[in-house]
Amino acid sequence: MRSSRRITPLAALGCFLILSLLLAGCGSTPTAMPTSTARPLPTAEPTIEVPKYAEAPILADEVKAGKLPPVDERLPENPLVEEAESIGTYGGTWRRGFLGPSDYNGYIRIVADSLLVFSPDGTQVLPKVAESYESSADFKTWTIHLRKGGKWSDGSPLTADDIMFWYVDVLNNKDLMPSVPSWMKNKDDGSTVQVAKVDDYTVSWTYHSPNTTWPLEIANKDNGDRSYPVFLPATYMKQFHTDYVDAAKLNQMVADAGFKTWAELFANKKNQAENPERPGTAAWIPTTAVGKEVMVMKRNPYYMGVDTAGNQLPYIDEVRMIYFADAASLNVAAIAGEFDEQERQINLMNYPVFKENEIKGMYKIITWPSFGGGDADISFNQTYAKDADLGKLLQTKDFRIAMSYAINRNAIKETAFMGLGEPRQPVPAPNHPFYPGDEYAKKYTEYDADKANQMLDAIGLDKKNADGIRLYPGTNKPVQIEISVVPAFGPWPDVAQLIAADWNKVGIQAIVQVRERALHFQMRASNDLQTEIWNQDTTGFPFTGNPKLDPRTAMSGGITVWPLNYTWYSTGGKEGMEPSADAKKIVELIDKARTVGGAEQAAVAQELFKLWVDNCYEIGTIGLTPMVQGVVVVSNNMMNVPTALGNDWPLRTPGNGKPETWYFKS
Amino acid sequence: MLRIILQRLILLPILLILFSIIVFWLIQAPPGDFLTSYLATVASSGSSIDDAQVEAMKVQFGLDQPFHIQYLRWMENLLHGNLGLSLEYQLPNSQLIGERLLLTVILALLSFLFTWAIAIPAGIYSALHKNSILDYFFTIVNYFGVATPNFMLALILMWLAFSKFGVSITNLFSSNFIDAPWSWARVVDLAKHIWLPMIILGIAGTARLTRIMRANLLDELHKPYVVAARAKGLPEWKLIFRYPVRLALNPLISTIGWYLPQLFSGSLIVATVMNLPNIGPLLLHALTQQDMYLAGSILLIYCFLTIIGTLISDILLAWLDPRIRMEGA
Repeated sequence: MRSSRRITPLAALGCFLILSLLLAGCGSTPTAMPTSTARPLPTAEPTIEVPKYAEAPILADEVKAGKLPPVDERLPENPLVEEAESIGTYGGTWRRGFLGPSDYNGYIRIVADSLLVFSPDGTQVLPKVAESYESSADFKTWTIHLRKGGKWSDGSPLTADDIMFWYVDVLNNKDLMPSVPSWMKNKDDGSTVQVAKVDDYTVSWTYHSPNTTWPLEIANKDNGDRSYPVFLPATYMKQFHTDYVDAAKLNQMVADAGFKTWAELFANKKNQAENPERPGTAAWIPTTAVGKEVMVMKRNPYYMGVDTAGNQLPYIDEVRMIYFADAASLNVAAIAGEFDEQERQINLMNYPVFKENEIKGMYKIITWPSFGGGDADISFNQTYAKDADLGKLLQTKDFRIAMSYAINRNAIKETAFMGLGEPRQPVPAPNHPFYPGDEYAKKYTEYDADKANQMLDAIGLDKKNADGIRLYPGTNKPVQIEISVVPAFGPWPDVAQLIAADWNKVGIQAIVQVRERALHFQMRASNDLQTEIWNQDTTGFPFTGNPKLDPRTAMSGGITVWPLNYTWYSTGGKEGMEPSADAKKIVELIDKARTVGGAEQAAVAQELFKLWVDNCYEIGTIGLTPMVQGVVVVSNNMMNVPTALGNDWPLRTPGNGKPETWYFKS
Repeated sequence: MLRIILQRLILLPILLILFSIIVFWLIQAPPGDFLTSYLATVASSGSSIDDAQVEAMKVQFGLDQPFHIQYLRWMENLLHGNLGLSLEYQLPNSQLIGERLLLTVILALLSFLFTWAIAIPAGIYSALHKNSILDYFFTIVNYFGVATPNFMLALILMWLAFSKFGVSITNLFSSNFIDAPWSWARVVDLAKHIWLPMIILGIAGTARLTRIMRANLLDELHKPYVVAARAKGLPEWKLIFRYPVRLALNPLISTIGWYLPQLFSGSLIVATVMNLPNIGPLLLHALTQQDMYLAGSILLIYCFLTIIGTLISDILLAWLDPRIRMEGA
């Protein structure tokens, strides 16, 4: 058994110092902190300068050596106060694994470095780098307030100019952004949304029409997917921007770095994971690039968060993400207890092995089930054109409902998902405000082959051939459907085989085609898929990003329901197929929900999900499993890791679980 | 001989250009490109990217250009002596390959030495003591060695090491030594880890070479010149090593040529399974992600080494066996 962590005498001394500092602090300040963000000033003796905040021993050393300003000067006037189960101790290295640059979002998710963040349960958007935000009563103007005295990791101030630099020099620069992303476009005339500096710490967004999705969008503008965040260290980035540097000098830099255009250089330099020199605001700042064998992140001495006792966060000194060539060897290392906390790339299929080795590997397993939707859903192409008979059948609502009844979901749950999750339709989780009720979540999910047979008979598929396969009305042509499935992300090929067997039992011949994912994606975009298995993980956020229920979502991020309708929308009605009334209704509901807030928005959302379930465009099998990085391996001495957490990409899980408050039990 | 070498060297650039086109085309032959692979990867964690963002990334990666422009971009870099930039890593390919080159070569050389150190004595012994108990033993071990895919062996050994000793034997270093600068402690750590991949990578080759060595030597042992030499009273060991063994080695020498590119590539699957920081996983990953500049660069070097390796083994053969030189002239 290898011991998982060594405690050096220095770290032990540091912890002791911190503890004694804390204890000393307790004498003069109230021990129980109220939940409000206001912090009472310590009642210090007038002659002795008592620091307001405490810091990590390694930073205190640097302050002593004169390399860093004192912690009180590094923190903003009103720091972010982060609550956690317990007050931690400083130090230690958090060991994780990752799969290299393509697993870039693994880093993004830990740091969740954005102006606003989602709450742990995922239902609210809270300030993080920003101090607060508000909207006008009509939801047309949104204002964000930055923290006075807040700083980038190099110590330079973070101000409204850093947001304006993104707006003026990135978003509105054609080289960097050939077209403006939809969330920054006005719905009426397609013009770019107005962003203006109010004062040094305040910036406002002004839309032509009401927009209630602004906070959710801002919470995701954090470099995720290599995109541009809405705030950039302007002073640093200007040295790579064509508007601020001499052309010859810039061209030289571009050539030296091996790029062809300045836009490539700029995109590379803005990315902290690729360019560790770029200042950031997260709790940990990369010190090596994502392409290395180990991606090392060290504590940001200027991180703006403190715990409820006034200790500057994070507690953990360093994060080490070790490169693994494939997920299987990462899982082996996790089983052997080589990580302190790891959920990304942990394969649900290994769940039993993980449980078996809990004691030996000195870890425990937590599950963070998905945030809603379904984990292996089957969608029916509503614009299939290669075979007119099949195309028409796929558009028949009763056919889709019959296909839903024909599936034995409990068998799928037990064999493919190891008993985790529950049979359900693709709607949000029950605790979500958009949940349309049990009636809809469970609609058409009971296994009833007789009912399926009756419904199929009723729609004219009442003749069968010698093999027991139903024939299209008035022909000898058997009904054959292909289920396209990608052998990745979940136990989908197994689910597909089970569904195919169930469908064969009711006389529909299903053929499972396991495809390489790039081919599958290409066929999806070219309208060649009949049905497919994918997951529905966007029900928690149906109005932001690119929800999978929206016909306007590109096929690379969607599901095969409306390939030709997507073309219709993206070409402004010139190409593709005109959407059905229901598809148009969905678009209408999504657009409406984007302009209203609160209960009204929830009502629209529920209407949307009811319509979605009623039509069975996408039928759910099993949902609420921890399939997408919901199996969490936590070392026994890692503390404060939440046992329940909203788990979704927009939430940046585990970022919404505040990893900066996690610490090692000494 | 010199003429042959010169001829081959002149042919080299033409072959390389031909290979580069084929390689570049093959990497891009599967549907999609680097960006679609990337989008598929992010889709797996629930993310989907805005159309505008996709377009921006297309420009950023130069994927908006047609095939021939992309190829010419790559060639332009190659002619300037650099291998271009990896799309995925956004780092120079030469740096990525260079970082992994040392460990790749160390591991390949060690497994090469392991193979020869075991295979040649075992082959000679088996041939000299044909049908002895030890010969049967080697034969059985060899059959297992040849029949077991080495990645399977790697998986089994990894599982045994974990379940029996509680250690995970992935990588060539312990986690705290992976990015440490070279030091004596790091070398020791490497030595602690490298023996297992060395054996796994060497075992199939060992089995094969032992069989070849045994068969070759058996052919030679009963030839009249051996009987004649023995009749003249040449000491047995001197006789065996000076004549039949030398001849039996010839086919093995010709495999050295193939070994050169292997030295460079490392073993794709074993290295991926065992998470070894050598070039194999880098290539495999570049291929699956359609990072055509990185994969293309590795494959082109591979082609280059194959050509050079074949040339070297031809020269070695001619040097070792005078009869080949006669035929070549």
